[in-house]
Formats: sequence, C-alpha cells, structure tokens
Amino acid sequence: MLTPHPTLLIGPSDWQPERMPREEFARRIDAMWERHPQAERAIVFGSSRHHAELAYFTNLVPKLEPVVALLSRTGQHRLLVGGGVNMIGAARPLTWIENVLPLKDVAAAIGGGGAARCSLVVGTAYMSVAFRRTVMEALGEGTCVQDATAQVWSRMRRKSRYELDAIDAAVKATGVARKAMREALMSGGSVTDVILAGERAASAAGAQDVRTLFSLDGGRTLRPFVVPVKQRVDPLMAYLAIRRFNYWAECFPLFTTRPESAQLHEKAWQAMGSALSAIKAGVATHEIGQLIAAAMQPYQAHPMIAHAFAQRTGLALDEPSCADIGASFEEGEVYSLRIGAMDEARGSMICSRMFIVQAAGVVAFDEGPA
Amino acid sequence: MAAETDMNFQERLSDICRRMQDEKLALLIALHDGAHFIETPNPVMVLTGFKSIGAAAAVLYSDSACTLIVTPSWDAERAAELCPQARVVGTDDLVAALLTFFGGEFPQDTISEIGVAGLSFLPSGIASPITAALPGARAADKLVFDAARTKTAEEIGFAREAARIAELGYTRLLQIAKPGMTEDDLAVVLKAYMKTLGAEDNFLLLCAGPHNRAVQPSTGRKLQQGDIILAEITPSYRGQLTQICRTVVIGEPPDELSRKYELVVRAMNEGIAAAKPGVAMAEVCRAINGVLEAQGYGEYCHPPHIRRRGHGLGFASVRPGDVSLDNATVLEPDMLFMIHPNQYLPETGYLLCGEPVVITARGADVLTREQSSLGIAGRWKE
Repeated sequence: MLTPHPTLLIGPSDWQPERMPREEFARRIDAMWERHPQAERAIVFGSSRHHAELAYFTNLVPKLEPVVALLSRTGQHRLLVGGGVNMIGAARPLTWIENVLPLKDVAAAIGGGGAARCSLVVGTAYMSVAFRRTVMEALGEGTCVQDATAQVWSRMRRKSRYELDAIDAAVKATGVARKAMREALMSGGSVTDVILAGERAASAAGAQDVRTLFSLDGGRTLRPFVVPVKQRVDPLMAYLAIRRFNYWAECFPLFTTRPESAQLHEKAWQAMGSALSAIKAGVATHEIGQLIAAAMQPYQAHPMIAHAFAQRTGLALDEPSCADIGASFEEGEVYSLRIGAMDEARGSMICSRMFIVQAAGVVAFDEGPA
Repeated sequence: MAAETDMNFQERLSDICRRMQDEKLALLIALHDGAHFIETPNPVMVLTGFKSIGAAAAVLYSDSACTLIVTPSWDAERAAELCPQARVVGTDDLVAALLTFFGGEFPQDTISEIGVAGLSFLPSGIASPITAALPGARAADKLVFDAARTKTAEEIGFAREAARIAELGYTRLLQIAKPGMTEDDLAVVLKAYMKTLGAEDNFLLLCAGPHNRAVQPSTGRKLQQGDIILAEITPSYRGQLTQICRTVVIGEPPDELSRKYELVVRAMNEGIAAAKPGVAMAEVCRAINGVLEAQGYGEYCHPPHIRRRGHGLGFASVRPGDVSLDNATVLEPDMLFMIHPNQYLPETGYLLCGEPVVITARGADVLTREQSSLGIAGRWKE
C-alpha cells in the first residue's frame, strides 16, 4: 500500500551479519551472474524511496541521497553514495560492501570498470533523467547494456530462511503495535492517540520504519496523518506497515464496538480462512480471487485493495508492476492476502494476513485476528 | 509578528496565471513524484497546496481553472477535500491519466503553449514518456517558483508552528539524550514526539561523535560521554518545513568548545543582521564568512568544508535558495529561509547553529523563541 514517503528515513538500518550474512548476498549476486552469463558487472540504483533491488544485493537502504552499487563478477564491488564524501561514514554501517565512494564520481567509476563485455542495469526507471543519461553515457555508446530489473524482482520472489525470519520479526512487531493501539483506544484515546501509540510501540519493538494510514469514515477510505485528529471514531480502521531488518509486514487493524461491523469482520475472516486453506504452490491466483469474491457475497469489494487482493511483500512496501501477482502462487513466495468489503449498513473494512506459500499449503506468520 | 504582505494562495495563483499570459502559455503542467525531499521543490504543491502520497500532476489553464491528478486513486477524495478549487482525478497511472485528460494525446498544434514544471526532478520512468509526448513544451519551473519566491501568510503561519515544534523537540533532546542510547533510537523518539505535536514529516538529521566531520543521518552508533550531538531538527507542519540547527554535548563542554560555539553563533547573528529587503543573499553568506575569516578560519569557509550557510524551506517552493556566495537573489519581505553557519573547525569538529528567518520590512524576523546556544544533555531550562 502506498503511504506518504518521509523526507528522511529514520530508524535502525545497520547491517547485522547474524540476520543477513555476507554469504546470503554473495548467493544473490552469484544467481544474477548465472542468469546473465555474459554480464561482467551490474549497476544497481536505489533512492530512499525505491531501493528494494539495492537492498537485496547490498543491505543498504539509502536514508537520504541515492546510492549506486557497482557489482563486479571478477573484481571488487563498490558503493557510490550521494551527498558527498561526508555521507560515506553514515553509509558504511548499513552495508557489507567495504569499498564506499562518493556518487559524484559515478561516471569515472563506471568508465573505469574496464572493457566489460556486458553490463546489467537495475532500477534505472527510478533515476532522474539527468542521472540516467550520465550513467548511460559512462557505459558508452554501442556497449552491451541489459536492464535486469524484472529478472531481479523475479529472483526476489522466493524468500530465503533469513528473509522469512526478518519478515516474521516484522509481523511480530505489528502484533505489538496492534496491542498498544487497542490499549490506547480502551483508555479513551483519540484517533491520533491510537495511531501514534501503535507507531511508538513498533519503534520500541525495534522497527526500522513504521507507516500508518487511518480511516475517519468507518473504513471506507484511508488517509495519512496531516495534523492530530482529536476525535474518536467507531469503527476505527487503520493500515499499519512495519519494517524490520529491511523487510516489511502489513496489516489492517480494526477496532469496533459495533455489532454490525464485527459481523462483517467475522465474515471476512471466514473468507480468509477458506482462501488460505485453498492456497498452495501451483494454485491459480484467479481461482483464489473468485473464491474470495464468492465468499464475500453480497458485499461489494473494497476499492482500496481492488488492484491486489494478494500483495507480494518483502523489501518494498509498494512493489513495482513487475512484481504484481502472477498466474499462480509459487513455493517460497510471501504474500499479504487482503479481503475487504463495503456495505452501506454494515460499514467497510479490510483485513489481511501474511503467509508463505509451500508445496502443500500455506504457513501464516501470525495467528490471525485477536 | 504578522506576515508583511498577507499574500494568500489565490493571489499567488492569480500571479502565476498572469505570468502564463505574459509568456503566452495556455496551460501549465506541474509534476511531482510524491517523494517529498527537503531539497526538491514541488510545483504541484505550489499550484494546489496538496502534498500527495504518490506521483501527482496539476494542470493549470491561464484562466486559473485547475485539475489535480493524484495517485493512488483512493487518495482522490482527500485531495478533493483539501483542494476545493480544483477538479480532482484519482488514478494509479499518472502518465496514462495525463494522456487521457488530453483525449489520448497532447494537442500537438499548440504544444509550444504548454509549460511543464518539475520534470527534471522526476524519476526517468515517469519523466521520459511525458517528455516524449510533449517534445515542444517549454520548461516553466522558473515561472512557477518565481511566483512562489515568497511565502503566503498561511505558509508563514505554518512555519512558525513548525518552529515551535522544533524547539520543543530540541528540549526533549536535551532531556533524554544519554550515553548508551543509539543515534537511531534518539532520532526515532524525537521524531515520534514531534509528530504528537503536529509534525507530519521531519527531516531530522542527527549524529554524534567526539569530533564530527559533518552532520549525517543517524546510525546504530551508541552515544558516549563527551560526544557532541549534531541535530538538524526539521519538522514539517501542514507541508511547510522549518528547521533549527543545534549542538549538544554529553557532559561538561570543554572551554574551547564553548568559545568556538560562541564564535559560530556570532557569525550567525551577523548573517541575520545582514538579511534585509534589497540585500542579495550572497551578502548574508559574506557577513557570516567575515566573522569566521577574521578569526583565521578562511579556508574553512569554502568547499569542501562548507557549501552554503543556509537554504530555502519547502516542501512547495525552496526559494530564495541557498545562503551562498553565488546566490544573487535579492531578498524581499515574506521570504523564508534558514541561516545556519554550520561550520567545521579543526579544534572542535563540525558545529551546528542555525535559525529560520522570515524577511520583513525591518529585517530578518527569527522564528524561534530561543536562539541557538551550546546545549548540555540532561540540563535544560523549563
């Protein structure tokens, strides 16, 4: 789900080798070379907003200025960090790559890469036009350049043990946040009190980033924080996304005392149970979509999740179109399954649950609605 | 202190329309990708006042009719609430929506009457198809941001509130910073605290060390006794950023640090005194440099040690730009910007000291209640 992007990413992002060992990154890079045997190097771009591919290879999430990784099949990997030489010190703890240089030298660094037979570029759509031109000119006219962004995303679908552990930690943090939100509500808190209680609890639980949206109209629409909202609403639906160790988890907490809202919620969770029981590796995604639609009759689907009833989840909160749900669920993929409904009398709601696809079924990351 | 001209949003928009007519532009397309970066101006915000979640465009005709196109599509209702003067379109594909708006293709016969603002800041994935569809359109960034070189009365009011929040955030920093806490944890707690006060975003650069080379984003480094904490506390209130730059010591500050900090404050105050209507921005920078040069720090007044002595404050327009020797912008009432010497000195390392100011007929009005002085963690005034 798209949320307002902060002007500066604030939160613990240092590379933790015990969480994501160097060998895991080496394996990912080796897989890229294997997929592109003619490639000698890869140029991977990331900004503070779009950096999933960069983080996948380097662990680095740019907090402020863009970063480029120059990955070499045979030589040393290098990282070029925006913001000048003074930003290098802040970048070093974020990555396992030791050779960190200023980004202003990108043309020389690319040009100095030797007569590479073929270069891969990843994330060029996120570069500004001027920066992209600089990179392409440095690569040289007539040289072999392949955009490997979609292939990288394809590799990113299947999650490793380390990635699953990171996602599990993020899901657990959503549980902590939801509990704090419930407590804030029970003690008479306003909409903002509840949302900020969740954010604070997530941060205290080690969140690297927390994003929230909330509804003031019974779950029909979601909106970001602009100024504090002192009122209380029932039902209060929110969207909560928490990042830990670079990986995101999401949920849609709903707090209500209204029986009609609770009934709708219960129906959605029943549909969730049916859908999760039906999903396993190889199952067509459209079949699950139809199953959910049938289970939620006669209610109208919620428009906010109309574009994706199942959203792949990992290094990006808002994944690009090349990461859209495919024709079938595949083993090792992690999804957030979202079920929503709109009804004039009963209100509107969305619920979600995160799970990993396995050969014989799914394993959910949490225990479902509390 | 009240704003000088009390310009409102509608008057600024009328000014933009007049400029469009002068330049024979029939329509203006403003673009932004939704990544609200402190250094990047946002022409969509200038034309509509709307801070989007995703990529957005504003299409303004010279008669002031405006259409706001927002992503994601579900944010259209909020946009319509906040921008009652505009027709709002929600979409999940900005480029496709723009083309649809123009009936499938841009009007090629009148393309030279189209101005585009914000193109150079967009990711190429959005910019390239728009550039291809509008080969003869004219860059209109200057037109938009010239008109937004001064702030509206409302924006100045928001800046004052953001300054109040920043000062409360600083007080909290003095209260809670202690050895053993990581830079990240301190920054997270401060950001959360300022959000409770109304800051919807925060460019909070915070780092620490015994001898800092620059201010940087926080890391997992643990604070230690004797550390010097650098903090650019920059909350945004309703889309208007304001900043204060502060330096805090954990423990008793050495005499030399206190003396050097006083020097930097003196340099800042010279800059503030120089900032008046009719004065070029470069003169403000020169006034700051003069104090430091007189003390033998001339070589530290230029790159690579220092690039600028302050900057404009977005998110909409970042005019009047940097407080730098190469900025010839002549100051006018209602211009809002930072004055921060933020100086590296070999004896102490980098020191942060800066205040937000708005230019009035009488000079620079400092938005903070209490100007920068060397802070000591654990010691604060009630």
